[in-house]
Amino acid sequence: MQNKEWTIKSDRNLFDLQFKEIVNYRHLLFQLINRDVLALYKQTILGPIWFFIQPILTTVVFTFVFGKLAGVSTDGLPQPLFYLAGIINWNYFAECLNKTSTVFKDNAHIFGKVYFPKLIVPISISISVLSRYAIQLLLFLACLFIYHYKGAQFHITPIFFAFPLMVIMMASLGLGLGIIISALTIKYKDLAFLVAFGLQLLMYTTTVIYPLSAAPENLKWLIQLNPMTSVIEIFRYGFLGKGDFTISSLAYSLITSALILFTGVIAFNRVERTFIDTI
Amino acid sequence: MSNVVIRAENIAKAYQLGQIGSGSISRDFENWRARISGKGNPHVRINEAEDEPFNSTLFWALKDINFEIEQGETVGILGNNGAGKSTLLKIISRITAPTSGKISGRGRITSLLEIGTGFHPELTGRENVFLNGAMLGMRRSEVKKNFDKIVDFAEIEKHIQTPVKRYSSGMYMRLAFSVAAHLESEILIMDEVLAVGDKTFQQKCLDKMQQVSKEEGKTILMVSHNLNETERLFSKKIVLTNGRISNS
Repeated sequence: MQNKEWTIKSDRNLFDLQFKEIVNYRHLLFQLINRDVLALYKQTILGPIWFFIQPILTTVVFTFVFGKLAGVSTDGLPQPLFYLAGIINWNYFAECLNKTSTVFKDNAHIFGKVYFPKLIVPISISISVLSRYAIQLLLFLACLFIYHYKGAQFHITPIFFAFPLMVIMMASLGLGLGIIISALTIKYKDLAFLVAFGLQLLMYTTTVIYPLSAAPENLKWLIQLNPMTSVIEIFRYGFLGKGDFTISSLAYSLITSALILFTGVIAFNRVERTFIDTI
Repeated sequence: MSNVVIRAENIAKAYQLGQIGSGSISRDFENWRARISGKGNPHVRINEAEDEPFNSTLFWALKDINFEIEQGETVGILGNNGAGKSTLLKIISRITAPTSGKISGRGRITSLLEIGTGFHPELTGRENVFLNGAMLGMRRSEVKKNFDKIVDFAEIEKHIQTPVKRYSSGMYMRLAFSVAAHLESEILIMDEVLAVGDKTFQQKCLDKMQQVSKEEGKTILMVSHNLNETERLFSKKIVLTNGRISNS
């Protein structure tokens, strides 16, 4: 690394993605994840326990409103398990997208004063949000054992082994869409207004609160268009044995998330060099 | 091979004047349509060449900047407010890209354009040293090796486990300067960061810089207003006036 030659030019190839730089700065990636995780719990008494509270309350509300009042089907699964499976996965995706979509705005004071490959910041966000997902997953597994002990009707299928792939898909989708939005909002900030309520509305187009089998035949394609739908369905199929799992839906989600991530990286890379002059 | 560590060739940097808003989106749109249809750009003035990225809404913060810096030199960048000093440092530190031109060089750069960039208020001094070090491109092992020296120089042994939000501004700046000064880079770039801090510590920083440039052969680029204090430090000066080099 020492005495390495470098050049700064006015333009850079669109596909010169600087992956080598990111590898050089991997120590920063660890430090940023460390910072995000540490700083979150400072001066709190309950610390990570707060991450249990949000999905538990949401599940209780969903069970009451959609399960008991509206009587939406849960494919014969225990309602809390069904909702929790949707909520934790949607949460991870939404949190990833939400936090990475404002990455330039939130870090302008740092990006304007010190150089490092900026893509490291959104990557570190998607990984530190993962720590929260892991905690919520533990909650889900605990509920799974409780219901199993009580003799509820569900079973784990081998698709459960696709779980790591699913996490990668969710991360790519959240991160990819987030950095696309972050790149688009540098000059015109309008899109940022859409993100908050757009995410909320988008949740209803996936199968968080209803199973795909309960959707009207003529609207199924619309729900399946959202790549998060098949992620949630695969998760439910793997852990609970009920869900709409097909190879083609898996392939669709895989390809879409890869394309979105790729587009995001290109867009991010294009704006990162001079965004500080515009933001 | 010569000892040149930084060579700048025809650096120029333009900024857009005025506000970005609905006015600029219609202009962006017209520019884009003109480019697609192959017609002339409606926002280029009549006498200007089309391909030159010059238009009436641009402000040139830097133009025709050429210089060479050799290893071990301590270079002062001088000039009035708005002369382009900070812009030049930002381009060399890769914070923003030049509009045209090229800079080539050799060796790792640590730039300190502001005191304590990236310090997180909730984290302790110790945690921030590692975080800040990583932002400046250092490995954890490298920071660890110099950790005692950093704390020693900043004179904050007692407070290293306290969140930096409780630091005084002097302690904050001492720690931040100390991290940057103890890192193993070949080139150190500093904006006017020494303005904070008391006389004694300023002197200590200047001595430290002299030491790293003489003993370790580091190259230092520094913006300075206060010539009396720093003049004897510089082995070379770049004076900027309205975005151009007026002597060197």
